[in-house]
Amino acid sequence: MNKARTSIPRAAAAHAVLIVYTIIALFPVLIVVVNSFKSRGAIFRAPLSLPGPKTFDLIGYTTVMAQGNFPLYFWNSLVVTVVSIFLVLLFGAMAAFALAEYRFRANTMTGLYLALGIMIPIRLGTVAILRLMVASGLVDTLTALILVYTAQGIPLAVFILSEFMKQVSDDLKNAGRIDGLSEYRIFFRLVLPLVRPAMATVAVFTMIPIWNDLWFPLILAPSEATKTVTLGAQLFLGQFVTDWNAVLAALSLAILPVLVLYLIFSRQLIRGITSGAVK
Amino acid sequence: MRRPRGCRRIGLHAGNDALGSLTLENIRKSFGKVDVLKGIDLDVKDGEFVTFVGPSGCGKSTLLRVIAGLEDASGGSVRIDGEEVGSVPPAKRGIAMVFQSYALYPHLTVRDNMGLGLKQAGEPKKIIEERVRVATSMLSLGDYLDRRPAELSGGQRQRVAIGRAIVRKPKLFLFDEPLSNLDAALRVNTRLEIARLHRELTATMIYVTHDQVEAMTLADRIVVLNKGVVEQVGLPMELYNRPANLFVAGFIGSPQMNFIEGSRLGESAATIGIRPEHVSIGKESGTWKGKVLHAEHLGADTILYLDTEKAGFVTARLFGEHRFAADDVLYATPDPARIYRFGQDGRVLS
Amino acid sequence: MAVARRQTRWHIAVFLAPALIVYTAIMILPLFGTLQLSLFRNIDQKQVFVGLDNFRALLTDPHWSTAFWNAFRNNVWFFCIHMLVQNPIGILLAALLSSPKLRFRAFYRTAIFVPTILSFVIVGFVWKLILSPLWGITPMLLKEIGLRGLFHPWLGMGDTALTTVALVSVWQFVGIPMMLIYAALLSIPDEVLEAAECDGITGMAQFWKIKLPLILPSIGIISILTFVGNFNAFDLIYVSQGALGGPNFSTDILGTFLYRTFFGFQLQLGDPNMGSAIASMMFFIILVGVCFYLFAIQTRLRRYQF
Repeated sequence: MNKARTSIPRAAAAHAVLIVYTIIALFPVLIVVVNSFKSRGAIFRAPLSLPGPKTFDLIGYTTVMAQGNFPLYFWNSLVVTVVSIFLVLLFGAMAAFALAEYRFRANTMTGLYLALGIMIPIRLGTVAILRLMVASGLVDTLTALILVYTAQGIPLAVFILSEFMKQVSDDLKNAGRIDGLSEYRIFFRLVLPLVRPAMATVAVFTMIPIWNDLWFPLILAPSEATKTVTLGAQLFLGQFVTDWNAVLAALSLAILPVLVLYLIFSRQLIRGITSGAVK
Repeated sequence: MRRPRGCRRIGLHAGNDALGSLTLENIRKSFGKVDVLKGIDLDVKDGEFVTFVGPSGCGKSTLLRVIAGLEDASGGSVRIDGEEVGSVPPAKRGIAMVFQSYALYPHLTVRDNMGLGLKQAGEPKKIIEERVRVATSMLSLGDYLDRRPAELSGGQRQRVAIGRAIVRKPKLFLFDEPLSNLDAALRVNTRLEIARLHRELTATMIYVTHDQVEAMTLADRIVVLNKGVVEQVGLPMELYNRPANLFVAGFIGSPQMNFIEGSRLGESAATIGIRPEHVSIGKESGTWKGKVLHAEHLGADTILYLDTEKAGFVTARLFGEHRFAADDVLYATPDPARIYRFGQDGRVLS
Repeated sequence: MAVARRQTRWHIAVFLAPALIVYTAIMILPLFGTLQLSLFRNIDQKQVFVGLDNFRALLTDPHWSTAFWNAFRNNVWFFCIHMLVQNPIGILLAALLSSPKLRFRAFYRTAIFVPTILSFVIVGFVWKLILSPLWGITPMLLKEIGLRGLFHPWLGMGDTALTTVALVSVWQFVGIPMMLIYAALLSIPDEVLEAAECDGITGMAQFWKIKLPLILPSIGIISILTFVGNFNAFDLIYVSQGALGGPNFSTDILGTFLYRTFFGFQLQLGDPNMGSAIASMMFFIILVGVCFYLFAIQTRLRRYQF
């Protein structure tokens, strides 16, 4: 610590505020996870204590496993999220490359047209999207969700990726051209590998809202076979609202995978936000 | 140590003893396991202009930041005007610092950039205005008072940064490579300007640079740093004429001094040093016969890179134009009075 | 190169096509389709063009306007809570996080961002349980600090439910302003802050006089992101208070109102045309907000190149 610049009371105050807020942020999550391992009586009698040998109970988890179709919901969510991210990255990177690399007449206009989608939420077109999906027979398919999420993710992806692609050295691309590489090869072979870190950032940004979305699964794909885990959890929680063990267990099951993924990717996410890509 | 300077004292400090001495005692600094400064001792007198020079990573900027209070020393003491300042915050040390990147406040005008520190200290408005006026007229920034840094050129920004230091009337000016972001022509101008300011303000200045030309031209005294230790302290010409060791001999002077293994020349010293400008060239005869590898014609100078039979690779600097080219065979003769001899430990042998 | 420039550069079209096609077909056209639908009404099983009549009904016909203005007012309050609570807390946390040589910085940053990655379903239910008088966690905690008497079933009472849900939403999203402001603070060069230290501008003065003016553009962006997010909100209220925005519509906002109108609820049938009209109103509100930001605010906020 720098004596001349920082004072110990000030540092202590900063830590105090941050610790209090960290508790506020984590406490609700922890209390749910902790109580999901307890018997019903213990949940109400001593909600703040950790599960002991007497109070430990997995009844909630067995109920969830027995009742829900959760493995299927998980699979649906996974398919929708992974395919959407893949398409967002592929299409987004291609468009970003075109906007960053070439000078053509409609360049600025195309950029602005795509930027519109960052500010205007796709939800506002839901009525017509549903009609479109009904007309094309895509209601209650995962394809419908994938299409919507791809369209939703593209604007931000183009915006972030084109910023990064502008930084790829022109000399490198021109060296490729002199070596006789086609524009497609230059994109796939030279540029894409160089913007991989930015792609990872975009992937994380795209993933969270898709995985957590309730609106479109509810409207476009509510059937049992196409439910995502978010929608499934919502319905399950609604039905079992009085079975506290089951509700707490279901919530914990919903929290844990996201939390684990977050802890793995949080560096990427935070670096993405703080690198100034999103401004 | 202080060289007599026939200079007049001008307005700003008249009747104000803002001059400050600086004493460093055994300053140490480590970042984790890395020792950046390994015990620095130094005395700087009132009104002196001292430069810290050394290769990048030698600890010179860290030392400056320790003096400023931006960095705590891991050990040792810093005294400004005899007063221990180890736990005094930067603003209370009576210093002002000019940063390499200028570090101007981007949202404030030139006027506010200069006045903010005084305002924070609660100085009356009138005094702030007066001091800003004096500083801007010294630096001819009068026309730019209401501009923001983004609207100024690099040279102007640097002058604002210097002005911001001047208005604080510090005991000690600290410059951290202030010219390295400027282009070559501006660098010379600003160098002259800093020299002029030092004469006018007669303030104590500490100036960090990796450029030996800046160090030689500005300084009363030069401190050569390397790997966190002081290699030598002295007047510019002392360092040039009487380098204490191999490092200083190699660092000061351009092109670099020739170093030749003593055994090749039948000398007892481990290393023999001779500056390129002290090597003369003959076509017919001389001490070392050799072939020209490359010749650089600079107009005022001609620099020859020779491969000699006896002394190996030798650089020679001739004044004026000479029609030598690669593959010419020539004789190089060192000026015997200008030969340096270094022992095994790198120290100069007297 | 000059020759190549004159040729039709098909690869540009190939690069742009997939993104533009998906984006236009799934996002832009439906948006305009929705605007168009809002100008029609279903009369005797036929779509009849009624001009702006749906909007007139929405804004003035008591059958619709009571609910609309209620949802709008609630939405404004929802937004105000975010601006007044979420963003100042976010800025405070970011300022603390960016203080030099702070220990455990990565831990705080990661922990405080956790709620943001959780889905609305989880957040809504977790808080519903925690604030539930049945479970008694909250009264128990309040008792610990001697404030047992303060407890009320906040989510279930008309005059506190909306503020409570808004605060839950603040809890969820405070990580976003925190991160963006943190990034902006990190982008201020160290040397500028050190110059401030040398000038004697430290601590709070440094925040107000140096840092805050430099992060204003980021605060502007956060405000508009908050605005768009809030006037588009739905999930949290739907999960915790139901499609009716209970109790007694006290938490009904435009998103839930749109959902109910479009799909119908209980005995009322869904009405795609009125749904479209509500979506269009949301579109205009967001558009006005975004334009206000772009033309009135952003142009006045200087961005600084360091």
